[in-house]
Amino acid sequence: MAPTENDIAIVGFAQTSPDRRTQLTEADLVLHATRAVIADTGLDKSEIGFTVSGSCDYLSGQAFSFVQNTDAYGMVPAINESHVEMDGAWALYEAYVRLLQGDIDVAMAVGVGKNSNSDPSTLYTIEFDPYYLTPLGTDTWSLAALQARALLDSGKATERDFADVVVRNRANAKSNPYAQIKGDYSADELLAADYVRNPLRRHDLPPTTDQAAAIILARGKRAYDFCERPAWITGIDHRIEAHLPTVRKDITTSVSTRLAAQGAGVGKGPIEVAEVHAPFSFQELIVAESLGLDASTEINPSGGALATHAVMVAGIIRMGEAANQIIKNGKNRTLAHSTSGPCLQQNLVCVMEGDQ
Amino acid sequence: MADTVQEFVFNLTFPFTRTLGSTLSTFSSALAQGQIIGVRTGGRVIAPPLEYDPDSAADSGTDWVRVGPKGTVSTWTWVPEPTNLHPLDHAFGFAFITLDGADTPMLHVVDAGSESAMAAGMRVEASFKAPADCVGRIDDIIAFVPAADPSPSEGAGEPFAAPEENDITEMDAYCDLTYVDNASPTTTMWAKALMEGRIIGQKCPQCERTIVGPRGMCSVCAIELDESHVIDVPDRGVVSNFTIVTPVQYHGQTETEPFVRCSILLDGANAVIAQQEILGITASEVRVGMHVECVWAPANERSVQDIDNRSRGSGGDAIIGWRLTGEPDEPAENYLNRMM
Amino acid sequence: MSHQPVAIVGIGQTHHKRKRADVSIAGLVREAAQRALEDANMDWGDIDAVVLGKAPDLFEGVMKPEMYLADALGAVNKPMFRVHTAGSVGGSTGIVGSHLVSSGRHKRVLSVAFEKQSEGNAQFALGGGKGASIGAGGAFAPFIRAYIRRSGAPEDIGWMVAVKDRLNGAKNPYAHLKLADITIDKVKESPMMWDPLHFLESCPSSDGACAVVFTDEDGGKAASKPPAWVLATAMKSEPGWYSGRDAVNPQAAHACAQEIYKTVGITNPREQIDCAELYVPFSWYEPMWLEAHEIAAPGEGWKMTQSGATALDGDFPVNMSGGVLSSNPIGASGLLRFAEAALQVRGLAEDHQVGGANLAIAQAYGANAQFFAMWAVGSSLNPLG
Repeated sequence: MAPTENDIAIVGFAQTSPDRRTQLTEADLVLHATRAVIADTGLDKSEIGFTVSGSCDYLSGQAFSFVQNTDAYGMVPAINESHVEMDGAWALYEAYVRLLQGDIDVAMAVGVGKNSNSDPSTLYTIEFDPYYLTPLGTDTWSLAALQARALLDSGKATERDFADVVVRNRANAKSNPYAQIKGDYSADELLAADYVRNPLRRHDLPPTTDQAAAIILARGKRAYDFCERPAWITGIDHRIEAHLPTVRKDITTSVSTRLAAQGAGVGKGPIEVAEVHAPFSFQELIVAESLGLDASTEINPSGGALATHAVMVAGIIRMGEAANQIIKNGKNRTLAHSTSGPCLQQNLVCVMEGDQ
Repeated sequence: MADTVQEFVFNLTFPFTRTLGSTLSTFSSALAQGQIIGVRTGGRVIAPPLEYDPDSAADSGTDWVRVGPKGTVSTWTWVPEPTNLHPLDHAFGFAFITLDGADTPMLHVVDAGSESAMAAGMRVEASFKAPADCVGRIDDIIAFVPAADPSPSEGAGEPFAAPEENDITEMDAYCDLTYVDNASPTTTMWAKALMEGRIIGQKCPQCERTIVGPRGMCSVCAIELDESHVIDVPDRGVVSNFTIVTPVQYHGQTETEPFVRCSILLDGANAVIAQQEILGITASEVRVGMHVECVWAPANERSVQDIDNRSRGSGGDAIIGWRLTGEPDEPAENYLNRMM
Repeated sequence: MSHQPVAIVGIGQTHHKRKRADVSIAGLVREAAQRALEDANMDWGDIDAVVLGKAPDLFEGVMKPEMYLADALGAVNKPMFRVHTAGSVGGSTGIVGSHLVSSGRHKRVLSVAFEKQSEGNAQFALGGGKGASIGAGGAFAPFIRAYIRRSGAPEDIGWMVAVKDRLNGAKNPYAHLKLADITIDKVKESPMMWDPLHFLESCPSSDGACAVVFTDEDGGKAASKPPAWVLATAMKSEPGWYSGRDAVNPQAAHACAQEIYKTVGITNPREQIDCAELYVPFSWYEPMWLEAHEIAAPGEGWKMTQSGATALDGDFPVNMSGGVLSSNPIGASGLLRFAEAALQVRGLAEDHQVGGANLAIAQAYGANAQFFAMWAVGSSLNPLG
């Protein structure tokens, strides 16, 4: 395609090794990811017109934890810079909107999360309604399990379907050097495990990962300076639902994913590869259905969030993986998805296309 | 010599106080009396009540409805091993429970004895704490238990007349999280040097700036710095600026009297060590331009237990503080801009 | 370019207080948002996207509270975005909201920023949950000491700012502190908190929220009340620490102002800008920012304060709202600056209105005086003619 000055592409993606427990700090991880993507694209840091990161204070238990991470950008002279308390996928969204202002042509989005410092079974109790949910110790695993049970009871899926999702993602992860949990498993052996939160077993839950990822976006013809075949963002949208799953009409589907998919134009053509951010196995089924995907779409060749899951990073990695399918793997139209909040409360969908 | 610490356990605890506002106060005040209520808004009864209709964001109003104490489970899970934050210390269920008289479920705990007792459609009943222990918080309901009599709750769906003034307008919310961080290689380097009575910095090969209390990177050049960039810096210098803090009392505060934290420009190093204590003088006697030298704890008493990834640059219990050398002050004007 | 004009057609804020005991967190943000919608003559359903900003989640102990607040702010089935850029966050929240319109993504966007400091304790949160927290005052006092020595400013400049901003605050019905009887002597005699800063030279701790409704050009032209037009936005950052860094006069503060002036065509800020809302949590930051934002020559900022130029009736009024010194719901403090600048060029600032204000700037800063957000707003798209 001949890009207009409003067309924006992903032209570079780098991630750090996905460790169960890194010795490094979040700032170190950001430095490694950003240095790698800057080197890969052949950029000089002074060419980056806007830098934005996504991270979370409560992952380290420290107010303003992101401030130290900005040391990794080398902000002398001063740079255009921002931060979101959201997954790096939303940082990328801010970078996309910033590029649309038209005064800059290169931006960098970053996601970072040292997840191993905290305990996911307790930490996320404070992410929920502080009056009705937090005092009960309502945890993220239990909320997911409640949604999974509703899905089973609806007849749309079985526990074996959940296990099959895990088997496929872990097998796909074998070819991904940046996957943490990988290998050949059978649904039968997975189903023999005890429940952590009925009907979810350990393998239905995401692993704990320490990681950072960085993406370079470029606008218009500038994209070709960094990449032969840029992944043009042809649609991007994100939507949120009511917080309490108990007031949503039907938690076995994802209204916000469906709306975001419409906004991103998913249905305008076939999707060859979809990178779906489903921290819990069964959520991949809900998201795929809500995206309107059929069997012709390959889902999560990277192994997805069941193989590697750093909170605040897993979403932006989906963007990078879906982009790489175009940049490096000859695919023409791919999709990236990211989620946040209890029972898929918030969802982002991005469609990318390569030059034909 | 004590080893440097590899892992830091950090308990983030704080007693938050939440003010409730009108809707939640009405709910809490009724709950403390053993009455669960919802609000009719947008054509449905939402229980527990929200201040706003989640669909339209319109104010919910005050059309209060009595709900429960019995209800029906719509979806459930089972927690075989509760955490310290869960309300029960034995295995229990979480469930969506549509209380009699309500159109939307509430999430709560089901104490059903065993996982096999849980099912969609099961009838459960609220079990309250003793009246004296009820504070109007959602966990005044200890748990829902299987209903002895599955028949509909009496009075459910009827209007609830809220009092003019609510008894309960606040709730306590105790945050209790545990973090376990580990020492980064850069932190370990700093802590080891302190144990040896050395202050180290890292010098950037590109911009040649030195940072004391290594950070593993140059924040100007965005390049990684490692052990090869470490230099020893002098443990003497001049106070370049300071802050005197009158301590505000808060949960976890350890100070009661005004305390000083100084920046010290180290002799000949063109580098500053920050957040240091000055010994032997009162806070009001600290001046910019004073010559000071480091007072090290005796080697066998040094400790770096407190040096974690956030406190690099602090001397831990290896540096007791800094004392005046007795040399005449330098002109303050030459130093004031060197807080860093 | 796709950059399209953006109008501010709705502004709302809460009554700020030490403790807003009458509302929940949702109630607090809704109070500001509903006032902004009312000002814009809109309802929740008219809004296309919501942006929420606040300072660290540790202040209230609710992680990513935008999740819990989604339905309270009418964001269900819409995009909801959360910004956190330290103290500058309120400014960033306004800028990100305006960009959603200027990029053509949305027609009507609601930006909301809040802090409910009374739920927890900021000093605790800033100390990382440990003892001996130096707090924000302890962090900034050395910068202020350096400024005073460097500029040769008399010691009463800080007291003058403290008095001036509180007198302005007394005219603002929403301000937390309304100290109509404040005097230089009272400031001077108040306890020393972080030498050289006295208690009355420091910002209060407040509960509060602020909300702004943005629309596209058509929306601005159709608005029932006069709109403010967003003329320029900038966010600039520099490292918090490096050897030799000049934190008194940060390069990012200069870069931020320069970008705004260039975009708007401002060549003489002191003459061309009618008034400014600057983030002054400690009195001395008024002269410091006047210099770092190139409104006053180096070393001369304090003379503007001393001469009365920055008073409400001066030639360059600063912090007409009473500023951060009168109300400090941290996460909202930046958006309150941005909103007041807009209120001024709309001519709707009532008792704290600067007559004939057509071009105003607002600024917020954060962390170790290293993150800056700024915008310029005008009564028309071309207030300089």
